[in-house]
Amino acid sequence: MDMNEIKEIFFQECEEQLAELESGLMKLNDGDRDPETVNAVFRAVHSIKGGAGAFGLDDLVAFAHVFETTLDCVRSNTLEPSPDVLKVMLKSADVLADLTNAARDGGTVDAARSQTLVRELAALAKGELPQPVAVVQETVPVQEPAPAPAAASDEAEFAPVPFSFDDFGLDEPETQPEPVGKPQYDISFAPRNELYAKGNEATLLLRDLSRLGDMSIRCSTDSVPLLDELDPEAAYFSWKISLATDRGEDAIRSVFEFAEWDCDLTIEATHGNPSTVTMDENELPMQPVPFDLSVLDEDEAETIGGIVEQEEAIAAAEAHLESLNASVMAAQGVSNVVVLADNDSRAEALKNNSSQPQAMQASVGQTIRVDLDRVDRLINLVGELVINQAMLSQSVIENDSHGVSAINMGLEDLQQLTREIQDSVMAIRAQPVKPVFQRMARIVREIADTTGKSVRLVTEGENTEVDKTVIDKLAEPLTHMIRNAVDHGLETPEKRLAAGKSAEGTVRLTAKHRSGRIVIELADDGAGINRDRVRQKAIDNDLIAADANLSDEEIDNLIFHAGFSTAEKVSDISGRGVGMDVVKRSIQALGGRISIQSRPGQGSVFTMSLPLTLAVLDGMVVTVANQTLVVPLTAIVETLQPEASAVHSFGAQQRLISIRNSFCPLVDVGQILDFRQTQADPMAGVALLVESEGGGQRALMVDAIQGQRQVVIKSLEANYNHVPGIAAATILGDGRVALILDVDAVVAASRGQSLRADMPMAVAG
Amino acid sequence: MAVKTQTVQTLTLPAVLDLNAASALKTQLLALRGSPVTIDAGQVDRLGTLCLQVLVSAGRTWEADNLPYTYENASDAFAKTTALLGVSVEQRHGEH
Amino acid sequence: MKKRVLTVDDSRTIRNMLLVTLNNAGFETIQAEDGIEGLEVLETSNPDVIVTDINMPRLDGFGFIEGVRKNDKYRAIPILVLTTESDAEKKNRARQAGATGWIVKPFDPIKLIDAIERVTA
Repeated sequence: MDMNEIKEIFFQECEEQLAELESGLMKLNDGDRDPETVNAVFRAVHSIKGGAGAFGLDDLVAFAHVFETTLDCVRSNTLEPSPDVLKVMLKSADVLADLTNAARDGGTVDAARSQTLVRELAALAKGELPQPVAVVQETVPVQEPAPAPAAASDEAEFAPVPFSFDDFGLDEPETQPEPVGKPQYDISFAPRNELYAKGNEATLLLRDLSRLGDMSIRCSTDSVPLLDELDPEAAYFSWKISLATDRGEDAIRSVFEFAEWDCDLTIEATHGNPSTVTMDENELPMQPVPFDLSVLDEDEAETIGGIVEQEEAIAAAEAHLESLNASVMAAQGVSNVVVLADNDSRAEALKNNSSQPQAMQASVGQTIRVDLDRVDRLINLVGELVINQAMLSQSVIENDSHGVSAINMGLEDLQQLTREIQDSVMAIRAQPVKPVFQRMARIVREIADTTGKSVRLVTEGENTEVDKTVIDKLAEPLTHMIRNAVDHGLETPEKRLAAGKSAEGTVRLTAKHRSGRIVIELADDGAGINRDRVRQKAIDNDLIAADANLSDEEIDNLIFHAGFSTAEKVSDISGRGVGMDVVKRSIQALGGRISIQSRPGQGSVFTMSLPLTLAVLDGMVVTVANQTLVVPLTAIVETLQPEASAVHSFGAQQRLISIRNSFCPLVDVGQILDFRQTQADPMAGVALLVESEGGGQRALMVDAIQGQRQVVIKSLEANYNHVPGIAAATILGDGRVALILDVDAVVAASRGQSLRADMPMAVAG
Repeated sequence: MAVKTQTVQTLTLPAVLDLNAASALKTQLLALRGSPVTIDAGQVDRLGTLCLQVLVSAGRTWEADNLPYTYENASDAFAKTTALLGVSVEQRHGEH
Repeated sequence: MKKRVLTVDDSRTIRNMLLVTLNNAGFETIQAEDGIEGLEVLETSNPDVIVTDINMPRLDGFGFIEGVRKNDKYRAIPILVLTTESDAEKKNRARQAGATGWIVKPFDPIKLIDAIERVTA
């Protein structure tokens, strides 16, 4: 572990703290007044500040300090966390996140924004009401490039004042020329009971004092009573000390810094020699104290060596820190790590909904951080185990038709165990969707600001867990959908009021588990899909015939067509040249589906259903030209047995199949994949009706269906090469390798784009 | 004298004489009251102020009882700590 | 014999910094993440000195210090408060709870070691 690694840990921790901060602020926003919620929010900022301080990240420290000061006002109930106050705080949380990212990746931070917030936060801490944002923003001069400290510098004493005992102990002797004879101090020191009770010890204080110079000491033991009356933990001894040192009075005081509240202490500089100290006749004479007090350290034999070693070690640690501060954070990314929660607490966390703020504290279980590679290695091995077990079962069944019951029972147990191990291992990669959901809160705030709309984001089920890979890939489509929902879905406050709604629109983001998949819903209470406009646009774009008879649902789903956009111009926000078709494609790439239900005037609901993991897949095992293929079950809408009357030919090679009064192109998978040159007889096979990107349907012809099963996905790219039309491979129970069909690629190829377009020997298809 | 007929009791001090040891030390010493006592300080690694106060108090008590109270085998740590604190236990060998 | 230090801090960053600093300086380091865990670990670790944060979940530094001072077996252990709080009020509360001394974050390795040396034999 070196300082660079610790810095990485710091940034990882920042991410967690920022998430805590955000979720805490959201809870406060929802009216949660649990003191622990406020404490958690405060701690998050405090902790970031503490770590940032250790790494000399001054911008971050400065902003966090101002933020923390204001949060402390909330904590001490001097500032009511009203919606306006929380608005400032949520924005501050965003800036804190930006500053953290800038510190890590060297990015830039919106200087004006952070300065504005520093002012607003400071004003809140002083009990002033938040000012309208727009007014403040335009008055702020932009300062480059480090805005926060400059803005904060007039905000009282934010910089942590290091506790100084510079003059003490390990420091080198001062180089100033010594005066003739060292300055002399008379010290009187009388501990009180509390000094000992708090773990301070007069012997140690006097030891440290003696190390400052030449010391003589006289102990007054007069107040020590006889044993009967003695309180063994009371302070009876007091001392008069004469010390000759050139370290100054501050050095003496610093020895007593921890103790000074719990003792009577006077320090007087005298100019004479020790003998001038007044002495009562009956008092014992001052005893000179030997400088060698090494015995007072725990280990006699090693003390001298030990001290030298320690000094060296400290110097080394310092060098570490310095080189760390000097070096710009290396370009290496923060390593991929999953946090493992123990099972019980995870289960508990699952039970706990986000609506139970208090219960969360208790349910945060113990975690360990594990390198993702290790988990993946384990997942791979378990995958092998599953395959091996299936092969074993199969060969036992094939070779022993009589069925030796003991072996069969053992095999069943093994199968059960293997499945459980697989599930448990998959659960390791499972993570709550919370971080992604929390990121959406920021997206909502930003777009609300840009569009001038008033939006409230409600999240539910943020502890729902799904594979880390799915989570990582979820953020982009979700971001786009949220922008879309606010930009296009929600009306302006004026229109909402006119429609009899509250001025504030609501976007609801929900996650839940449903039949082995995760279902994410994004609902807005906006105007809903403008079906007339969508329909017109579709006609204009030649997506549908002018007289097409479409159901409401079909019209709504038109928005997922490629290139479809109802916005008059591509807006800055949801546009970016990207339509809902891209969203749909990325959801499908995850093995998911997306649909929309819309009610005019009441809003729209987007529903996404995703697999819980990308490591296994529910597939339909089929035969094509004597090859075994796996078709992802999610892509299949239905399977059907073509009848001669339903199959229509047109052109030289093209065939269509009529399904409930609509025609769908029939695609021979064997031919597309070059397994065979001529088309198979549709009547001899099975058609799989699949949906692919852009919602286009195709009937894929295969020879036979072998069955459905869960398969472990093996990357072809990692083990062999990319093969057009093939997404991945798997190993079946009988040991055969089966290829997993890339439905989208096959459908695209059937449109005339060759599967082999990317291969050097490409033949135009 | 009666003193000479009494058996000298020896109390061996533990290695660590910190805040936690003070009460126990007082109890142990009280139990020996009425007998001449020798305090064996040979094993002392750490002598805290509170325990030294107990020992000084005991010395004073034994003195009042007119019984011998002596130290022996003072370890380096014991000797140096008493010197540091300016408490001269060695001088309390025997009686006046 | 190495001196054993128990550190109590909820920040992984600070825990690691303490670990590196203390191990480099030749201490044996035992770590806990909050006051509750600190009190649990105390029972098995018997440290020579404790370094604790103030702001922590479940049981904060003040509560932890009080817990140690109430424990007959471990109440003599010196406790250093390690916190970014530099104001007198926080220091005072820590002292009232029974803290032996304090170190203001961001800590400097030398000052940390020095403070530990000051309160331990």
